[in-house]
Amino acid sequence: MIMTWLGRALILKVGEFLATFFLWISTVLSMIKQLLKLKFRARETLLQMYLLGVQSVLIMVVAMGFVGLMLIIELAFHMNLVLKHDSLVPAFSALLMVRELGPVITCLLLTSRIGAGIAAEIGSMKISEQLDALKMLSIDPIDYLVVPRWIGSVFAAVTLTVISLAIAIWGGAFLAAQKLGTSPGEYFNTVFFFVKFPDLAHCIVKSAVFGSLIPIVAAYQGFNCGSDSAAVGEAATQAVVRTSLYIIIADFLLTYLFYAI
Amino acid sequence: MPSLSFLSTVGGMILFTWDCVLLTLQRKTKWHQVLDQIFQVGVRSLGLTVAAGLFVGAIMALQIDLQLKDFGAEAFLGGLSTSTTLRNIGPVLIAFLLSGKVGAYTSAELGTMEVTDQLNAIRLLGASPLEYIILPRIWAVVISSFLLLIVGLMVTIFGGIIFAEVIGVNSLNYIQNIPRIVTVWSIVLSVIKSFLFGAIIAVVSCYKGYHAKGGSVGVGIAVQSCAVTNLILIIITDFLLSMASSCLQDIFKVGYL
Repeated sequence: MIMTWLGRALILKVGEFLATFFLWISTVLSMIKQLLKLKFRARETLLQMYLLGVQSVLIMVVAMGFVGLMLIIELAFHMNLVLKHDSLVPAFSALLMVRELGPVITCLLLTSRIGAGIAAEIGSMKISEQLDALKMLSIDPIDYLVVPRWIGSVFAAVTLTVISLAIAIWGGAFLAAQKLGTSPGEYFNTVFFFVKFPDLAHCIVKSAVFGSLIPIVAAYQGFNCGSDSAAVGEAATQAVVRTSLYIIIADFLLTYLFYAI
Repeated sequence: MPSLSFLSTVGGMILFTWDCVLLTLQRKTKWHQVLDQIFQVGVRSLGLTVAAGLFVGAIMALQIDLQLKDFGAEAFLGGLSTSTTLRNIGPVLIAFLLSGKVGAYTSAELGTMEVTDQLNAIRLLGASPLEYIILPRIWAVVISSFLLLIVGLMVTIFGGIIFAEVIGVNSLNYIQNIPRIVTVWSIVLSVIKSFLFGAIIAVVSCYKGYHAKGGSVGVGIAVQSCAVTNLILIIITDFLLSMASSCLQDIFKVGYL
């Protein structure tokens, strides 16, 4: 009984994952087709870059500033406990920030900022039969709706990760000067000594991958939205949950791929 | 003015919380409904929490191992990764996922009730929707998020142990190292954090769902702003609690509290 239940749940999850993956592939293919035919939807893409990227800057800056401050306090506690001195706190916090928390927390915030919105938008388009109208006009919904959001989201994820990393490390310099007595020059010296170029490159790759996950999962939930009034909220919820879980799993796999092998 | 609207949202939420606390003090809570809601909200999120906990624990063990390798201090791997996960990263990341699952589910449900005039129907019957619909949900979300966070944090420890075994650290050494660095105060801090994050998720999602308007699009907007507000408040609360813990250490002059 419980095995049948588990098996059914597993098959459903895997099926959904595969469907999302195929949507990802067809989005990339139709983006390549747009590029080759030079029928680039520039206006839509720029609008989505603005809506998804520029309008999220304030939230990212506030949240990641606090994460940077929090990391300094916590690592100071741990370093005092283990090494009995806190001269390595800037290095550890910057490394943890660049390798792990910067991309992950930025993209989790971006997920709830834009993932639910995209799912709700496409879902309500489906309920009000606007998707069918698009198909009647022989416009491919993936080409018209998903590709601009995909480009906008990857752009937003990468740029916002860089901005929020800068904010977090800068905020860390402020708190380290106040609390640990590390002068800013000393702080940035340590940070630049320990954070190498590959770390930054991996950070950018990670955030691009996470950013490319968000609109695909959300669009999948929107396309498969039911037709009653509860369905849009359900689609938005599922989009946020799935994307967050996929981001955490992808983060583990990418980190393992980059560093452990 | 985004900042002004954020402040007015926070003010509205404080008044909303005050109303709910007053109702609870007047013993208006229907505890059998709370149990129903805990099953609806909590039990269905258990799988997600366990999956997230495993991966968060593994990620932190991997990161800490990378950093300690440069200094040859791998002996501290178990304690440091468990302590970092329990005190900060674990509660924050798992609460992010729960705010997506539990919070967004609750706000979508309440928002649907609001835009389809079901809450108005309850008002028309002379009953208070705050008492019949909101209060059981708030308590259910507080209790189930708290319990789920605790379960998730326990699973992170297992995730770390499994990952340590995968990369070739003896899991007995890993476990032996945990009580040397994880103090009682760390566990108390993570329990306090879990409770507060659960309360934040409950209040924000119920408030946003209760104030949804504008048809099925409005429900989507409510879900989105609920998720964003949840995450921002969780991060700020996490920072404030860490700051308070560190100030307590300074005041009482304890090496590690």
